[in-house]
Amino acid sequence: MIEGKDLSLRIGERWLVQDLSFSVNRGEFIALVGSSGSGKTTLLRGIAGDIPLAGGQTITHTTSPLPIGMIHQDLQLAEGSTTLKNVLSGCLYRHSSFQTLLGFPEEEKGKAISLLLKLGLQKKLHQWTSTLSRGERQRLAIARTLLAQPSILLADEPVASLDGKWAEITLGMLKQYAQAQDACVICSLHDLDQVDQFADKIIQADPQKPEKWNVLMNTPNKV
Amino acid sequence: MNPEMKNMPWYNRLDLPGVTFVLFLLLAFSSLPALEGSGRDLDYWGNFLRFTDQFFPPDWSILGQTMTGLWETVQIAGISTFLASIFSLFLSLGAARTISPRWLVFITRMLLNIIRTIPSLLWAILAVVLVGSNSLAGVIALTFYSTGYLAKFFSEAFESADLKAQKALQSLGSSRWQAFQYGLWPNLRPVIWSHCLWMLEYNVRSASIIGYVGAGGIGLHLKLYAESADSWNKFSLVLLCMLVIVTFLDFTGEKVRKSIREKLEGKM
Repeated sequence: MIEGKDLSLRIGERWLVQDLSFSVNRGEFIALVGSSGSGKTTLLRGIAGDIPLAGGQTITHTTSPLPIGMIHQDLQLAEGSTTLKNVLSGCLYRHSSFQTLLGFPEEEKGKAISLLLKLGLQKKLHQWTSTLSRGERQRLAIARTLLAQPSILLADEPVASLDGKWAEITLGMLKQYAQAQDACVICSLHDLDQVDQFADKIIQADPQKPEKWNVLMNTPNKV
Repeated sequence: MNPEMKNMPWYNRLDLPGVTFVLFLLLAFSSLPALEGSGRDLDYWGNFLRFTDQFFPPDWSILGQTMTGLWETVQIAGISTFLASIFSLFLSLGAARTISPRWLVFITRMLLNIIRTIPSLLWAILAVVLVGSNSLAGVIALTFYSTGYLAKFFSEAFESADLKAQKALQSLGSSRWQAFQYGLWPNLRPVIWSHCLWMLEYNVRSASIIGYVGAGGIGLHLKLYAESADSWNKFSLVLLCMLVIVTFLDFTGEKVRKSIREKLEGKM
Protein backbone atom coordinates (compact mmCIF):
# COMPACT_ATOMS: atom_id res chain seq x y z
CA MET A 1 0.00 0.00 0.00
CA ILE A 2 2.80 2.40 0.92
CA GLU A 3 6.57 2.09 0.83
CA GLY A 4 9.20 4.33 2.30
CA LYS A 5 12.63 4.13 0.71
CA ASP A 6 15.60 5.56 2.60
CA LEU A 7 13.47 8.30 4.13
CA SER A 8 15.39 11.08 5.86
CA LEU A 9 13.98 14.07 7.67
CA ARG A 10 15.55 16.86 9.57
CA ILE A 11 14.58 20.09 11.28
CA GLY A 12 17.30 22.67 10.86
CA GLU A 13 20.58 20.90 11.53
CA ARG A 14 19.03 18.11 13.59
CA TRP A 15 18.40 14.79 11.85
CA LEU A 16 15.23 13.15 13.12
CA VAL A 17 15.05 10.27 10.67
CA GLN A 18 17.85 8.78 8.57
CA ASP A 19 17.52 6.17 5.84
CA LEU A 20 14.28 4.61 7.04
CA SER A 21 12.84 1.99 4.70
CA PHE A 22 9.55 0.25 5.34
CA SER A 23 6.56 -1.18 3.55
CA VAL A 24 2.98 -1.38 4.76
CA ASN A 25 0.47 -3.80 3.28
CA ARG A 26 -3.30 -3.52 2.97
CA GLY A 27 -5.10 -4.24 6.22
CA GLU A 28 -2.07 -3.59 8.41
CA PHE A 29 -1.89 -1.47 11.54
CA ILE A 30 1.55 0.02 12.13
CA ALA A 31 2.57 1.56 15.43
CA LEU A 32 5.11 4.34 15.48
CA VAL A 33 6.95 4.26 18.77
CA GLY A 34 9.49 6.65 20.24
CA SER A 35 9.98 8.97 23.16
CA SER A 36 8.61 12.53 23.12
CA GLY A 37 10.52 14.70 20.68
CA SER A 38 11.91 11.70 18.80
CA GLY A 39 10.26 12.83 15.56
CA LYS A 40 7.08 10.77 15.31
CA THR A 41 4.97 13.75 14.24
CA THR A 42 7.64 14.89 11.77
CA LEU A 43 7.82 11.39 10.29
CA LEU A 44 4.04 11.22 9.89
CA ARG A 45 3.98 14.69 8.31
CA GLY A 46 6.80 13.67 6.01
CA ILE A 47 4.85 10.57 4.91
CA ALA A 48 1.74 12.73 4.42
CA GLY A 49 3.74 15.13 2.25
CA ASP A 50 3.10 18.11 4.55
CA ILE A 51 6.84 18.73 4.91
CA PRO A 52 9.62 18.05 2.41
CA LEU A 53 11.83 14.99 2.84
CA ALA A 54 15.55 15.57 3.26
CA GLY A 55 16.15 12.35 1.35
CA GLY A 56 14.46 9.21 0.02
CA GLN A 57 10.89 8.86 -1.17
CA THR A 58 7.48 7.39 -0.40
CA ILE A 59 5.59 5.36 -2.96
CA THR A 60 1.87 4.75 -2.60
CA HIS A 61 0.05 1.93 -4.39
CA THR A 62 -3.54 3.06 -4.45
CA THR A 63 -6.07 4.42 -6.92
CA SER A 64 -8.25 5.93 -4.19
CA PRO A 65 -9.34 9.56 -4.73
CA LEU A 66 -8.05 10.20 -1.19
CA PRO A 67 -4.73 8.31 -0.84
CA ILE A 68 -3.72 9.79 2.54
CA GLY A 69 -5.71 11.24 5.43
CA MET A 70 -4.28 12.33 8.74
CA ILE A 71 -5.60 12.75 12.29
CA HIS A 72 -3.49 15.60 13.63
CA GLN A 73 -2.35 15.86 17.21
CA ASP A 74 -3.84 19.37 17.45
CA LEU A 75 -7.10 18.04 15.93
CA GLN A 76 -7.68 21.01 13.59
CA LEU A 77 -11.46 21.21 14.03
CA ALA A 78 -13.83 24.04 13.16
CA GLU A 79 -14.64 25.27 16.68
CA GLY A 80 -17.76 27.23 15.77
CA SER A 81 -19.29 24.31 13.89
CA THR A 82 -21.39 21.46 15.28
CA THR A 83 -20.07 17.99 15.98
CA LEU A 84 -22.09 16.52 13.09
CA LYS A 85 -20.89 19.11 10.56
CA ASN A 86 -17.28 18.65 11.62
CA VAL A 87 -17.53 14.91 10.97
CA LEU A 88 -19.36 15.45 7.70
CA SER A 89 -16.62 17.79 6.50
CA GLY A 90 -14.53 14.65 6.06
CA CYS A 91 -16.64 13.58 3.07
CA LEU A 92 -16.47 16.90 1.19
CA TYR A 93 -14.11 15.62 -1.49
CA ARG A 94 -16.75 13.10 -2.60
CA HIS A 95 -19.15 15.90 -3.55
CA SER A 96 -18.96 19.12 -5.53
CA SER A 97 -18.96 22.54 -3.85
CA PHE A 98 -22.44 23.10 -5.30
CA GLN A 99 -23.80 19.85 -3.79
CA THR A 100 -22.52 20.74 -0.33
CA LEU A 101 -23.44 24.43 -0.47
CA LEU A 102 -26.64 23.97 1.54
CA GLY A 103 -25.88 20.73 3.35
CA PHE A 104 -24.86 17.10 3.00
CA PRO A 105 -26.52 14.07 1.36
CA GLU A 106 -28.65 11.95 3.72
CA GLU A 107 -26.47 8.90 3.05
CA GLU A 108 -23.38 10.69 4.35
CA LYS A 109 -25.32 11.95 7.37
CA GLY A 110 -26.29 8.35 8.18
CA LYS A 111 -22.66 7.22 8.03
CA ALA A 112 -21.51 10.16 10.16
CA ILE A 113 -24.16 9.53 12.84
CA SER A 114 -23.29 5.85 12.93
CA LEU A 115 -19.60 6.71 13.53
CA LEU A 116 -20.50 9.22 16.24
CA LEU A 117 -22.71 6.59 17.87
CA LYS A 118 -19.78 4.15 18.02
CA LEU A 119 -17.58 6.87 19.47
CA GLY A 120 -20.13 7.85 22.12
CA LEU A 121 -20.91 11.30 20.74
CA GLN A 122 -24.52 10.69 19.70
CA LYS A 123 -25.86 13.14 22.30
CA LYS A 124 -23.57 15.92 21.12
CA LEU A 125 -24.50 15.96 17.43
CA HIS A 126 -25.70 19.55 17.35
CA GLN A 127 -23.38 20.95 19.99
CA TRP A 128 -20.63 23.41 19.06
CA THR A 129 -17.24 21.72 18.93
CA SER A 130 -15.73 24.38 21.18
CA THR A 131 -17.98 23.16 24.00
CA LEU A 132 -16.74 19.55 23.89
CA SER A 133 -14.09 18.14 26.21
CA ARG A 134 -10.60 17.37 24.86
CA GLY A 135 -11.35 13.64 24.76
CA GLU A 136 -14.63 14.19 22.90
CA ARG A 137 -12.88 16.47 20.41
CA GLN A 138 -10.23 13.82 19.84
CA ARG A 139 -12.90 11.21 19.07
CA LEU A 140 -14.57 13.72 16.76
CA ALA A 141 -11.35 14.25 14.78
CA ILE A 142 -11.02 10.46 14.44
CA ALA A 143 -14.62 10.18 13.20
CA ARG A 144 -13.98 12.89 10.57
CA THR A 145 -10.99 11.03 9.13
CA LEU A 146 -12.76 7.67 9.26
CA LEU A 147 -15.67 9.13 7.30
CA ALA A 148 -13.18 10.43 4.72
CA GLN A 149 -11.98 6.83 4.19
CA PRO A 150 -8.40 7.44 3.08
CA SER A 151 -6.38 4.46 1.81
CA ILE A 152 -3.55 5.31 4.17
CA LEU A 153 -4.71 6.67 7.50
CA LEU A 154 -2.03 8.44 9.53
CA ALA A 155 -2.85 9.11 13.18
CA ASP A 156 -0.68 11.28 15.42
CA GLU A 157 -1.24 10.14 19.00
CA PRO A 158 -4.98 9.68 18.42
CA VAL A 159 -5.70 8.34 21.92
CA ALA A 160 -3.49 10.67 23.96
CA SER A 161 -6.50 12.31 25.66
CA LEU A 162 -8.73 9.26 25.94
CA ASP A 163 -9.30 7.09 28.97
CA GLY A 164 -8.51 3.37 28.79
CA LYS A 165 -11.98 2.31 27.67
CA TRP A 166 -12.26 4.84 24.83
CA ALA A 167 -8.63 4.34 23.78
CA GLU A 168 -9.30 0.63 23.31
CA ILE A 169 -12.57 1.20 21.43
CA THR A 170 -10.95 3.82 19.18
CA LEU A 171 -7.85 1.79 18.36
CA GLY A 172 -10.10 -1.20 17.73
CA MET A 173 -12.10 0.89 15.25
CA LEU A 174 -8.91 2.02 13.48
CA LYS A 175 -7.67 -1.58 13.21
CA GLN A 176 -11.04 -2.77 11.97
CA TYR A 177 -11.08 0.09 9.46
CA ALA A 178 -7.74 -1.04 8.01
CA GLN A 179 -8.99 -4.61 7.62
CA ALA A 180 -12.49 -3.86 6.37
CA GLN A 181 -11.55 -1.09 3.92
CA ASP A 182 -8.37 -2.72 2.59
CA ALA A 183 -6.56 0.32 3.90
CA CYS A 184 -3.63 0.70 6.27
CA VAL A 185 -3.15 2.69 9.48
CA ILE A 186 0.11 4.20 10.71
CA CYS A 187 -0.39 5.42 14.23
CA SER A 188 1.97 6.95 16.77
CA LEU A 189 1.43 5.52 20.27
CA HIS A 190 3.04 5.85 23.69
CA ASP A 191 1.33 3.02 25.56
CA LEU A 192 3.28 -0.19 24.89
CA ASP A 193 0.35 -2.39 25.96
CA GLN A 194 -1.72 -0.78 23.20
CA VAL A 195 1.14 -1.36 20.76
CA ASP A 196 1.27 -5.03 21.76
CA GLN A 197 -2.49 -5.40 21.44
CA PHE A 198 -3.10 -3.68 18.11
CA ALA A 199 0.04 -3.32 15.99
CA ASP A 200 1.00 -5.70 13.21
CA LYS A 201 4.35 -3.97 12.74
CA ILE A 202 6.27 -1.44 14.75
CA ILE A 203 8.45 1.38 13.52
CA GLN A 204 10.56 2.29 16.50
CA ALA A 205 13.15 4.98 17.16
CA ASP A 206 16.44 3.42 18.26
CA PRO A 207 16.99 4.43 21.92
CA GLN A 208 20.78 4.58 21.37
CA LYS A 209 20.73 6.44 18.08
CA PRO A 210 17.48 8.42 17.87
CA GLU A 211 17.69 9.25 14.15
CA LYS A 212 17.81 5.52 13.37
CA TRP A 213 14.40 3.86 13.15
CA ASN A 214 13.89 0.10 13.13
CA VAL A 215 11.01 -1.82 11.62
CA LEU A 216 9.91 -4.81 13.70
CA MET A 217 7.19 -7.39 13.37
CA ASN A 218 5.02 -7.23 16.46
CA THR A 219 5.43 -10.18 18.77
CA PRO A 220 4.70 -9.98 22.50
CA ASN A 221 7.25 -7.94 24.47
CA LYS A 222 9.10 -6.99 21.31
CA VAL A 223 9.20 -3.28 22.13
CA MET B 1 22.83 54.49 35.65
CA ASN B 2 23.27 51.12 34.03
CA PRO B 3 26.36 51.37 31.72
CA GLU B 4 24.42 49.73 28.88
CA MET B 5 21.76 52.45 29.16
CA LYS B 6 24.42 55.13 29.19
CA ASN B 7 25.51 54.04 25.72
CA MET B 8 21.98 54.25 24.34
CA PRO B 9 20.83 57.32 22.34
CA TRP B 10 18.93 59.79 24.56
CA TYR B 11 15.57 59.12 22.86
CA ASN B 12 15.84 55.39 23.61
CA ARG B 13 16.34 56.15 27.29
CA LEU B 14 13.03 58.01 27.55
CA ASP B 15 10.14 56.43 29.42
CA LEU B 16 7.47 56.71 26.71
CA PRO B 17 4.35 56.42 28.93
CA GLY B 18 5.84 58.98 31.34
CA VAL B 19 6.77 61.46 28.62
CA THR B 20 3.39 61.21 26.90
CA PHE B 21 1.62 61.65 30.26
CA VAL B 22 3.57 64.86 30.91
CA LEU B 23 2.71 66.09 27.40
CA PHE B 24 -0.94 65.30 28.04
CA LEU B 25 -0.91 67.30 31.30
CA LEU B 26 0.74 70.24 29.52
CA LEU B 27 -1.95 70.17 26.83
CA ALA B 28 -4.74 70.05 29.44
CA PHE B 29 -3.39 72.97 31.51
CA SER B 30 -2.52 75.11 28.50
CA SER B 31 -6.17 74.70 27.42
CA LEU B 32 -7.55 76.30 30.62
CA PRO B 33 -8.46 79.60 28.87
CA ALA B 34 -11.15 77.63 26.99
CA LEU B 35 -13.05 77.46 30.33
CA GLU B 36 -13.49 81.23 30.43
CA GLY B 37 -16.47 81.11 28.03
CA SER B 38 -18.00 84.34 26.80
CA GLY B 39 -16.84 86.32 29.79
CA ARG B 40 -20.41 87.50 30.48
CA ASP B 41 -21.68 87.28 34.01
CA LEU B 42 -24.35 84.58 33.58
CA ASP B 43 -26.27 82.58 36.13
CA TYR B 44 -25.16 79.17 34.82
CA TRP B 45 -26.90 77.04 37.44
CA GLY B 46 -30.13 79.06 37.28
CA ASN B 47 -30.20 78.83 33.49
CA PHE B 48 -29.70 75.10 33.66
CA LEU B 49 -32.53 74.63 36.16
CA ARG B 50 -34.95 76.88 34.21
CA PHE B 51 -34.17 74.94 31.02
CA THR B 52 -34.52 71.45 32.47
CA ASP B 53 -37.65 72.51 34.37
CA GLN B 54 -39.42 72.78 31.01
CA PHE B 55 -38.64 69.09 30.33
CA PHE B 56 -41.05 67.92 33.03
CA PRO B 57 -43.52 66.40 32.94
CA PRO B 58 -42.93 64.84 29.51
CA ASP B 59 -45.83 65.29 27.09
CA TRP B 60 -47.26 61.77 26.71
CA SER B 61 -49.82 62.92 24.12
CA ILE B 62 -47.20 62.54 21.38
CA LEU B 63 -46.24 58.96 22.35
CA GLY B 64 -47.87 57.47 19.22
CA GLN B 65 -46.04 59.63 16.70
CA THR B 66 -42.81 59.30 18.69
CA MET B 67 -43.03 55.51 18.47
CA THR B 68 -43.60 55.81 14.70
CA GLY B 69 -40.47 57.97 14.43
CA LEU B 70 -38.49 55.57 16.58
CA TRP B 71 -39.62 52.60 14.49
CA GLU B 72 -38.42 54.45 11.38
CA THR B 73 -35.08 55.01 13.14
CA VAL B 74 -34.75 51.31 13.95
CA GLN B 75 -35.65 50.46 10.33
CA ILE B 76 -32.95 52.85 9.02
CA ALA B 77 -30.41 51.28 11.39
CA GLY B 78 -31.48 47.73 10.51
CA ILE B 79 -31.35 48.04 6.73
CA SER B 80 -28.14 50.08 6.71
CA THR B 81 -26.39 47.57 9.03
CA PHE B 82 -27.56 44.75 6.77
CA LEU B 83 -26.29 46.45 3.59
CA ALA B 84 -23.03 47.50 5.28
CA SER B 85 -22.45 43.89 6.44
CA ILE B 86 -22.69 42.61 2.87
CA PHE B 87 -20.41 45.33 1.41
CA SER B 88 -18.00 44.87 4.31
CA LEU B 89 -17.67 41.13 3.73
CA PHE B 90 -16.34 41.78 0.22
CA LEU B 91 -14.21 44.78 1.20
CA SER B 92 -12.73 42.98 4.18
CA LEU B 93 -11.43 40.21 1.93
CA GLY B 94 -9.48 42.90 0.07
CA ALA B 95 -8.26 44.46 3.31
CA ALA B 96 -7.06 41.24 4.98
CA ARG B 97 -3.29 40.74 4.77
CA THR B 98 -3.65 36.96 5.01
CA ILE B 99 -5.90 36.81 1.95
CA SER B 100 -5.12 39.59 -0.54
CA PRO B 101 -1.95 40.92 -2.20
CA ARG B 102 -0.24 43.93 -0.65
CA TRP B 103 -1.34 46.46 -3.27
CA LEU B 104 -5.01 45.52 -2.84
CA VAL B 105 -4.72 45.62 0.96
CA PHE B 106 -3.18 49.13 0.71
CA ILE B 107 -5.89 50.47 -1.63
CA THR B 108 -8.78 48.92 0.32
CA ARG B 109 -7.45 50.13 3.67
CA MET B 110 -6.96 53.66 2.32
CA LEU B 111 -10.53 53.64 1.04
CA LEU B 112 -11.83 52.43 4.42
CA ASN B 113 -9.78 55.06 6.25
CA ILE B 114 -11.34 57.79 4.11
CA ILE B 115 -14.85 56.42 4.74
CA ARG B 116 -14.22 56.32 8.51
CA THR B 117 -12.80 59.84 8.58
CA ILE B 118 -16.14 61.32 7.51
CA PRO B 119 -18.56 61.52 10.47
CA SER B 120 -22.07 60.08 10.15
CA LEU B 121 -23.62 63.55 10.26
CA LEU B 122 -21.57 64.64 7.26
CA TRP B 123 -22.51 61.46 5.38
CA ALA B 124 -26.14 62.35 6.18
CA ILE B 125 -25.77 65.89 4.78
CA LEU B 126 -24.20 64.48 1.61
CA ALA B 127 -26.99 61.91 1.26
CA VAL B 128 -29.72 64.54 1.81
CA VAL B 129 -28.14 66.63 -0.96
CA LEU B 130 -28.19 63.56 -3.21
CA VAL B 131 -31.63 62.03 -2.58
CA GLY B 132 -33.51 64.69 -0.64
CA SER B 133 -34.79 64.79 2.90
CA ASN B 134 -36.13 61.32 3.67
CA SER B 135 -35.19 58.05 5.34
CA LEU B 136 -33.41 56.79 2.20
CA ALA B 137 -30.80 59.48 2.88
CA GLY B 138 -30.38 58.02 6.37
CA VAL B 139 -29.94 54.53 4.98
CA ILE B 140 -27.30 55.70 2.48
CA ALA B 141 -25.44 57.71 5.13
CA LEU B 142 -25.31 54.96 7.72
CA THR B 143 -24.49 52.27 5.15
CA PHE B 144 -21.35 54.17 4.11
CA TYR B 145 -20.44 55.07 7.67
CA SER B 146 -20.86 51.52 9.02
CA THR B 147 -19.06 49.95 6.08
CA GLY B 148 -15.91 51.86 7.08
CA TYR B 149 -15.98 50.25 10.52
CA LEU B 150 -17.39 46.81 9.80
CA ALA B 151 -14.97 46.11 6.93
CA LYS B 152 -12.09 46.97 9.27
CA PHE B 153 -13.43 44.66 12.01
CA PHE B 154 -14.14 41.85 9.54
CA SER B 155 -10.67 42.07 7.97
CA GLU B 156 -9.12 41.86 11.46
CA ALA B 157 -11.27 38.78 12.12
CA PHE B 158 -10.04 37.21 8.86
CA GLU B 159 -6.43 37.97 9.77
CA SER B 160 -6.62 36.49 13.25
CA ALA B 161 -8.68 33.42 12.28
CA ASP B 162 -7.24 29.98 12.92
CA LEU B 163 -6.56 28.48 9.48
CA LYS B 164 -5.80 24.97 10.71
CA ALA B 165 -9.29 23.55 10.22
CA GLN B 166 -9.40 24.97 6.70
CA LYS B 167 -6.04 23.41 5.86
CA ALA B 168 -7.09 20.08 7.41
CA LEU B 169 -10.10 19.93 5.11
CA GLN B 170 -8.00 20.78 2.08
CA SER B 171 -5.64 17.95 2.98
CA LEU B 172 -8.73 15.70 3.09
CA GLY B 173 -9.40 16.60 -0.52
CA SER B 174 -12.05 19.33 -0.23
CA SER B 175 -12.17 22.25 -2.68
CA ARG B 176 -11.00 25.71 -1.57
CA TRP B 177 -14.59 26.92 -1.29
CA GLN B 178 -15.65 23.87 0.76
CA ALA B 179 -12.65 24.33 3.06
CA PHE B 180 -13.65 27.98 3.53
CA GLN B 181 -17.34 27.16 4.09
CA TYR B 182 -16.82 24.29 6.54
CA GLY B 183 -13.34 25.01 7.95
CA LEU B 184 -12.86 28.76 8.24
CA TRP B 185 -16.34 30.32 8.13
CA PRO B 186 -17.74 28.47 11.20
CA ASN B 187 -14.93 30.02 13.28
CA LEU B 188 -15.43 33.47 11.78
CA ARG B 189 -19.22 33.56 11.77
CA PRO B 190 -19.74 34.15 15.51
CA VAL B 191 -17.15 36.94 15.58
CA ILE B 192 -18.59 38.62 12.50
CA TRP B 193 -22.15 38.33 13.81
CA SER B 194 -21.02 39.84 17.08
CA HIS B 195 -19.59 42.85 15.21
CA CYS B 196 -22.82 43.21 13.22
CA LEU B 197 -24.88 43.30 16.43
CA TRP B 198 -22.61 45.94 17.90
CA MET B 199 -22.94 47.99 14.70
CA LEU B 200 -26.73 47.69 14.83
CA GLU B 201 -26.78 49.11 18.36
CA TYR B 202 -24.45 51.88 17.32
CA ASN B 203 -26.52 52.67 14.22
CA VAL B 204 -29.73 53.02 16.23
CA ARG B 205 -27.98 55.76 18.21
CA SER B 206 -26.58 57.34 15.04
CA ALA B 207 -29.93 57.09 13.21
CA SER B 208 -31.50 59.04 16.06
CA ILE B 209 -29.37 62.08 15.36
CA ILE B 210 -28.99 62.12 11.56
CA GLY B 211 -32.67 63.09 11.28
CA TYR B 212 -31.52 66.49 12.58
CA VAL B 213 -30.14 67.20 9.10
CA GLY B 214 -33.15 65.69 7.34
CA ALA B 215 -32.09 62.07 6.96
CA GLY B 216 -35.29 60.61 8.44
CA GLY B 217 -36.14 58.99 11.75
CA ILE B 218 -36.69 60.39 15.22
CA GLY B 219 -34.01 63.06 14.81
CA LEU B 220 -36.42 65.13 12.74
CA HIS B 221 -38.92 65.15 15.64
CA LEU B 222 -36.13 66.27 18.00
CA LYS B 223 -35.26 69.11 15.68
CA LEU B 224 -38.87 70.32 15.39
CA TYR B 225 -39.44 70.29 19.15
CA ALA B 226 -36.08 71.95 19.86
CA GLU B 227 -36.86 74.78 17.45
CA SER B 228 -40.33 75.57 18.75
CA ALA B 229 -40.17 77.61 21.93
CA ASP B 230 -42.52 75.71 24.27
CA SER B 231 -42.00 72.06 23.24
CA TRP B 232 -39.26 70.98 25.62
CA ASN B 233 -41.66 68.58 27.35
CA LYS B 234 -42.23 66.90 23.98
CA PHE B 235 -38.46 66.88 23.42
CA SER B 236 -37.98 65.16 26.77
CA LEU B 237 -40.48 62.43 25.87
CA VAL B 238 -38.57 61.69 22.67
CA LEU B 239 -35.33 61.51 24.69
CA LEU B 240 -36.98 59.20 27.20
CA CYS B 241 -38.22 56.84 24.47
CA MET B 242 -34.77 56.85 22.86
CA LEU B 243 -33.20 56.05 26.20
CA VAL B 244 -35.52 53.07 26.64
CA ILE B 245 -34.89 51.65 23.17
CA VAL B 246 -31.11 52.21 23.22
CA THR B 247 -30.80 50.68 26.69
CA PHE B 248 -32.88 47.69 25.59
CA LEU B 249 -30.71 47.17 22.49
CA ASP B 250 -27.50 47.63 24.50
CA PHE B 251 -28.62 45.10 27.06
CA THR B 252 -29.83 42.41 24.65
CA GLY B 253 -26.92 42.98 22.23
CA GLU B 254 -24.38 42.58 25.03
CA LYS B 255 -26.17 39.46 26.30
CA VAL B 256 -26.13 37.84 22.85
CA ARG B 257 -22.49 38.82 22.20
CA LYS B 258 -21.41 37.49 25.59
CA SER B 259 -23.22 34.23 24.98
CA ILE B 260 -21.56 33.83 21.54
CA ARG B 261 -18.13 34.62 23.05
CA GLU B 262 -18.53 32.10 25.86
CA LYS B 263 -19.81 29.40 23.53
CA LEU B 264 -16.83 29.85 21.24
CA GLU B 265 -14.45 29.75 24.18
CA GLY B 266 -16.10 26.54 25.37
CA LYS B 267 -17.40 28.05 28.63
CA MET B 268 -21.00 26.90 28.12
